[in-house]
Amino acid sequence: MEPAPFFALENVSKRYGGVHALRDVDFACSRGSIHAVLGENGAGKSTLMKIMAGVVQPDEGRMTLEGTPVMFPGPAAANRAGIVCIFQELSLMPELTVADNITLSSPPRRFGLIDGRAQRRRSEELLARVGCEDIDPSARVADLPLSRRQMVEIAKALGRNPKLLILDEATSALTAADVDLVYRMLFDLKARGLSILYISHRMHEIEALADRCSVFRNGRHIETFTKGTRSRDEIIGLMIGREIEGQFPPKPERPRPAPFIEIRDLSWESRLNGVTLEAGRGEIVGLGGLDGQGQKELLLALFGVLRGVRGTVTVEGRTMAMSSPRAAKSGRAHMALVPEDRKSEGLILSMSIADNLAMASLDRLARGPFLSARRTRAVVQEAIEQMRIKIGDAGDPVATLSGGNQQKVVIAKWLATGPDVILLNDPTRGIDVGTKQELYRLMRELADAGACILFYSTDYEELIGCCDRVCVMYDGRIVRALEDEAINERNLIASALNIVGQREPAHG
Amino acid sequence: MSKTATIPAPQGFRLKPDDKPVIFAAGFVLLILLVGTGYTMLTQGSAPLLQPQYLLQQLQVGSFLGIVAAGLMLVILLGHIDLSVPWTLTAAAMMATAVGGPWAIPVGLGIGLLVGIVNGLGVAYLRVPSMIFTLGMNAVMRGLMVAHTGGFAPQTAATDLMQYLAVARIGGVIPVALLVWLAVSALVVVILTRTTLGRAIYAIGNRERAAYLSGIDTNRVILIAFALSGAAAGLAGVLLAGYSTKAYQGMGDPYLLPAIAAVVIGGTNILGGRGRYLGTLVGVILIVLLNSVLSIMQMPEAGRQIIYGTVIIAMLLVYGRGERVTG
Repeated sequence: MEPAPFFALENVSKRYGGVHALRDVDFACSRGSIHAVLGENGAGKSTLMKIMAGVVQPDEGRMTLEGTPVMFPGPAAANRAGIVCIFQELSLMPELTVADNITLSSPPRRFGLIDGRAQRRRSEELLARVGCEDIDPSARVADLPLSRRQMVEIAKALGRNPKLLILDEATSALTAADVDLVYRMLFDLKARGLSILYISHRMHEIEALADRCSVFRNGRHIETFTKGTRSRDEIIGLMIGREIEGQFPPKPERPRPAPFIEIRDLSWESRLNGVTLEAGRGEIVGLGGLDGQGQKELLLALFGVLRGVRGTVTVEGRTMAMSSPRAAKSGRAHMALVPEDRKSEGLILSMSIADNLAMASLDRLARGPFLSARRTRAVVQEAIEQMRIKIGDAGDPVATLSGGNQQKVVIAKWLATGPDVILLNDPTRGIDVGTKQELYRLMRELADAGACILFYSTDYEELIGCCDRVCVMYDGRIVRALEDEAINERNLIASALNIVGQREPAHG
Repeated sequence: MSKTATIPAPQGFRLKPDDKPVIFAAGFVLLILLVGTGYTMLTQGSAPLLQPQYLLQQLQVGSFLGIVAAGLMLVILLGHIDLSVPWTLTAAAMMATAVGGPWAIPVGLGIGLLVGIVNGLGVAYLRVPSMIFTLGMNAVMRGLMVAHTGGFAPQTAATDLMQYLAVARIGGVIPVALLVWLAVSALVVVILTRTTLGRAIYAIGNRERAAYLSGIDTNRVILIAFALSGAAAGLAGVLLAGYSTKAYQGMGDPYLLPAIAAVVIGGTNILGGRGRYLGTLVGVILIVLLNSVLSIMQMPEAGRQIIYGTVIIAMLLVYGRGERVTG
């Protein structure tokens, strides 16, 4: 039985320039259900969400809310109608406090001034609803880790009393524990009769959450079905329009290679507490564990970003200085870091694709102080071909690319430096299935070609599928190293959590 | 999804966004000349504004501003600002005339370079906001110069070479100062478009963290840009002293705001990261002509200031529309 649609779109189209972002889309969602929207990057999901949330206006088509035709000239109008969207990019003000952010659009007022106490109370309530009582409402957002910020974002959205809640990749930065909290909250909201639209690239999340699924491809609505009527492979097939086999490339069967880079007792402030790790050429070593256990700090420390790091790093037996990214990329081992946030750390969005691709290898492309146009062109061309980056013109701003292609640019710019050690900080966050698979394959190819890869991911499936070894971190140290068959979801979660009650004296 | 970061502007015309301000400013330059000529035709029945002699004269006067703006642009592209220009310029002029002889010009340039390096060290390594640090340096230089001159107008005169560079005309036609300006311009264009330094300047201006994580030595780049800006102000000071045959208190004061305005009117983003040198060039010409035409039209000072300010704001409004600053 189909419940009557709560919000429906008919024949909606949207063009950006000559590109059809949405073509003739019919779409409907109902109350009391969680509706997953699936599709590769560029399939039109975000545009659909933006139209529903009033951020952009459709070129054609009409929308009805509970049977009445509606038009949203702006997000505020959509909010008033009870449609609230949590976007993929966080929309918090980093310098304001959590409470300021949560009540940003309508702060509680007293005598015309903002009532700080009421604001704090309201924020505490909302944070408690998403299960994050531990977040201090007076903390600055900039001081919170990414996953906490995302929870604040969700609390902020709930504060607007939504009838239709849209989550666009809202869990992409969350830790497993937070994802559980979000699940529980979503089921609770569903029971209260909310309509929930859920965009995610993580198949297991959709399997756990959704009642119905809609697949989009190239701006068209391909199919809507009830969960359980399609297999995972069929769904992926619908999304990419072709059959795919084996999500991860096979791991090579071989003895463990000799260590290339050896990390001894690395410590930094209270975030790293004596990390010891080694990795050889040809190895993909995963970093697991809950979010915020020092994985990111470890990568940043190796890349010379952090000040005051203690401990030693040796490459082929010789000590390496960790003074700056510049030293890291041109030192004893050529290092490369694909940072956590590609939009603010990995890329310069307003500069061209070509400029971004050349950014890390300017020194190699120069003759004296002058940049060689010929060499630059060659490097850019090679990078685009090697990574199969889909672009119009290399002179276009990199911001015009889809998320997956942007991430390819970040990786390509580092491959152009010929790195020996590649540090990957959650490189597949917010990327479509097809590109993810290309990245997995690329990682394996790079390893086979002699690179040493340290790979941090918040997605357990990836760690299991990609890594030769996984080191699980807890409280700034490595508590367990898993190999071969031992790398499974059970062990990963167990070693990430188990430690809370009973700390292993591994590196006492 | 692809179009999440910015909502793409409609495409179809192949004009690059960076070209728009340049073309617009150039159009405005023509408009100023037309209006001014219309005025002189009505009142005097002649068109002095369109005579090469007049235009060359304006370019000569504009050279000093142009050189300051060229240096300042490097700093503005980084997303910083150099407010020490007035007294860097004055100090360079005063020390150049005080030293005299063959060392006058090297000393003037050296003073500019030195102030620039101190600015650069403060901004890059001590991480003091440039607006504060350079403002402080401006006051320090002013204090040093007052101490040096005792608060009186210095009695020293510019050397012959300084006067030659500022006043002389090759063949009685082409001002040497204009050639100096063009040489500085060529240098800046080469830096911005052909060197790793230029690429790094744009990268830092857009997003310093991403540039740093790409292994660019960001502090060094900031230091060099400030040093070049200081040297440019020093060169302008040396020329200006040559032009007026001596250095005097406050000679740099009328250069700071017009130089910033010229850079910004030329399409350089005041927050850094975007802008072409050609725009700055046109921006300088625009400001010099606007001043000149308003004075030919015998506009009273009050009206000149109002028009001058309104034009700057209006041009920025025109450019600013439709551009988004993404976080």
